[in-house]
Amino acid sequence: MTEEHDNVRVAFLWDPTSPRWSRRRFLQTMGFMAAAGAAGTSCGGGGGSSGSGPEAKRLNFYNWTDYIAESTIPGFTKATGIKVTYDNYSSNDDLFAKIRQGGTGYDLIVPTDNFVVKMIDGGLLEKLDLSKIPNVKNLDPRFRTAAFDPGNRYSIPWQWGTTGIGYDPDAVGSRVDDWTGFDLPAVKGRSSFLDEARDAFGMAMYALGKDPNSTAAGDIEAARKYLIALKKKVKQITSDYQDPLKSGGLILAQAYSGDVFQVQAENKKVQYVIPKSGAFQWVDSLCIPKGAKHPGNAHKFMNYILEPKVGAALTNYVQYGTPNKAALPFVDKAVKDNPLIMPPADVLAELKFQKPLGEAELKIADAWTSVKTS
Amino acid sequence: MAAPPTSEEVTNGAEPPSGDEGATGAAPVTPRPRHARSEGAKAHGLLGPTTIWLTLFLLAPLVIVIWYSVGTRGVINPVQHPGGKLNWSNFSRALDPSFLPIFIRTVAYAAATTVASLILGFPLAYVIARFGGTWKNVLLGLIILPFWTSYLVRMYAWRFILDENGLANTVLGSLGLGRNHQFTNTHWAVVLGLTYGFLPFMVLPLYASLERMDAGLIEAAYDLGSNRFSTFWRITFRTSLPGVVAGVLLTFIPALGDFVTPQLLGGTRTQTFGSTIQDQFGQGQNWPLGSAMAVLLMAFILVGVFVYTSRVGEDVL
Repeated sequence: MTEEHDNVRVAFLWDPTSPRWSRRRFLQTMGFMAAAGAAGTSCGGGGGSSGSGPEAKRLNFYNWTDYIAESTIPGFTKATGIKVTYDNYSSNDDLFAKIRQGGTGYDLIVPTDNFVVKMIDGGLLEKLDLSKIPNVKNLDPRFRTAAFDPGNRYSIPWQWGTTGIGYDPDAVGSRVDDWTGFDLPAVKGRSSFLDEARDAFGMAMYALGKDPNSTAAGDIEAARKYLIALKKKVKQITSDYQDPLKSGGLILAQAYSGDVFQVQAENKKVQYVIPKSGAFQWVDSLCIPKGAKHPGNAHKFMNYILEPKVGAALTNYVQYGTPNKAALPFVDKAVKDNPLIMPPADVLAELKFQKPLGEAELKIADAWTSVKTS
Repeated sequence: MAAPPTSEEVTNGAEPPSGDEGATGAAPVTPRPRHARSEGAKAHGLLGPTTIWLTLFLLAPLVIVIWYSVGTRGVINPVQHPGGKLNWSNFSRALDPSFLPIFIRTVAYAAATTVASLILGFPLAYVIARFGGTWKNVLLGLIILPFWTSYLVRMYAWRFILDENGLANTVLGSLGLGRNHQFTNTHWAVVLGLTYGFLPFMVLPLYASLERMDAGLIEAAYDLGSNRFSTFWRITFRTSLPGVVAGVLLTFIPALGDFVTPQLLGGTRTQTFGSTIQDQFGQGQNWPLGSAMAVLLMAFILVGVFVYTSRVGEDVL
């Protein structure tokens, strides 16, 4: 019981482990949910994914910005009659903070692999009923057994990619093939790196020839110094680099692969590169937050996106890698054959995932605060 | 985003004038005891919705922030109070000298914004109040007009104007003045953005006090041989002082808590106290520290406002 209540807690005003408050908090939470939910509230405490009663034909989808094909949602609505409310976020932290608090009303979210682990650990996700997602067989086997969620108990991969460098070779004055691109004279004051602690520290560790998931105090300190020095050379620390990269405000940026190919569609000069000293790869996955009111519809959407043609349309549009093996025949040749969008297996083997680091993540967070405030 | 200590709350938190008015309204002087009770009841009834609103949306978040500020951070559960223990170390961390340059920079931004708003806003308010005539309301409407668009959108617009390949550089370039000026990523850009954003908060109270000014006073001053400058200084400016005081508060306080402007118009050297607080609720993963910093900022503002209003305000308000 207590566990369930914790999941729908609105605010943690009180010690969540104290049983003294749980009943009262439960009532308050339910009061809030009832007020907020108005129509069609399912069973209290979050129900299960079994979806006993009939669900309203609605789906509240919370996704990253610029991360869906124009045809995806209309196609889903046409096929199922389910109306989709589509909202956006721009960082895993924002998403996590919201889901952590509960009561968001979202049925479908798209966290990155390490946050999927964090959410599973925190009991924030509904378990999936794979019998309702027969298309799961379309997934590339490596996404059926991924370390962050083996067997797809909680997540269905959406898209995957790498975190490398987007740049304009003309403006930079040369080709860039590694993180040392930040040191080029033409780049000074016209570059950016991501406002994401783990991405920035991973880059620093790679550049310094260390394990990007290292939690050794010495490595974190070295990476911190690297980033403080780098900060003096760049223009901004930002995750909002697409428009500046397009317009020339930035000529080199640490960036997510597909984002750069989206920029490329409008500014042909911009190139993407996976730095040779290494970079992160990642997978974003569809998940259902605990207490979602339309878990059945969310399952339907998961099954829908795994349709070969639907998955291919998504990848053709957002230019990230597709986890959907059955979709490959329908993926544009230019996307499929681009080793930067879908790197071959031997390249991928070299690219690490961000490991969830548990308590050690806080050490990196503190070092990040030190970088930001230096 | 679940970050309670935004500039808005800081503003609200440090707004004693409205609270004071409420208090005086609730405690009527009683020349006629017969009616006192019903009058008091009426006052309470009138204040009911406001009280509920403020309790729910001002007091409760404030209490949560204070409660968080004595918590312990965690990976999954961002704020814990293990065994009900209060963790005061967040405050000593928040007072860490490494944050001092950022704090000084933040105060400098807010002060520069306030001074710039006053210099730009005073003539504007004066002209509208004295010479606006039938156009007064239209002109005031024009000042409020930017509020119809989100602050965020307007800051993006400024970025579009100031960027390397932005409007400013294009225009300067076509005039032969060079097109490689660095406008964004500077302190000036941040102060410009803040001034643009908060100018109306300065103009409106200034207008309110200038509009009420008796024009006869100015004529009287001239009649008594006062020159233009001393008339302005001793009559116009002095009468407008309540507006100046209010305008300074309304500009300085939100500017002190702002974190959007430096993020969009600034660069790596324009981190403010507000953005540092915001970071603690995101990548910094330290809600208790962020809360402690917010509490300290609020305390700083409260003390500042108290000193300011008791020093300046006494003879003015």
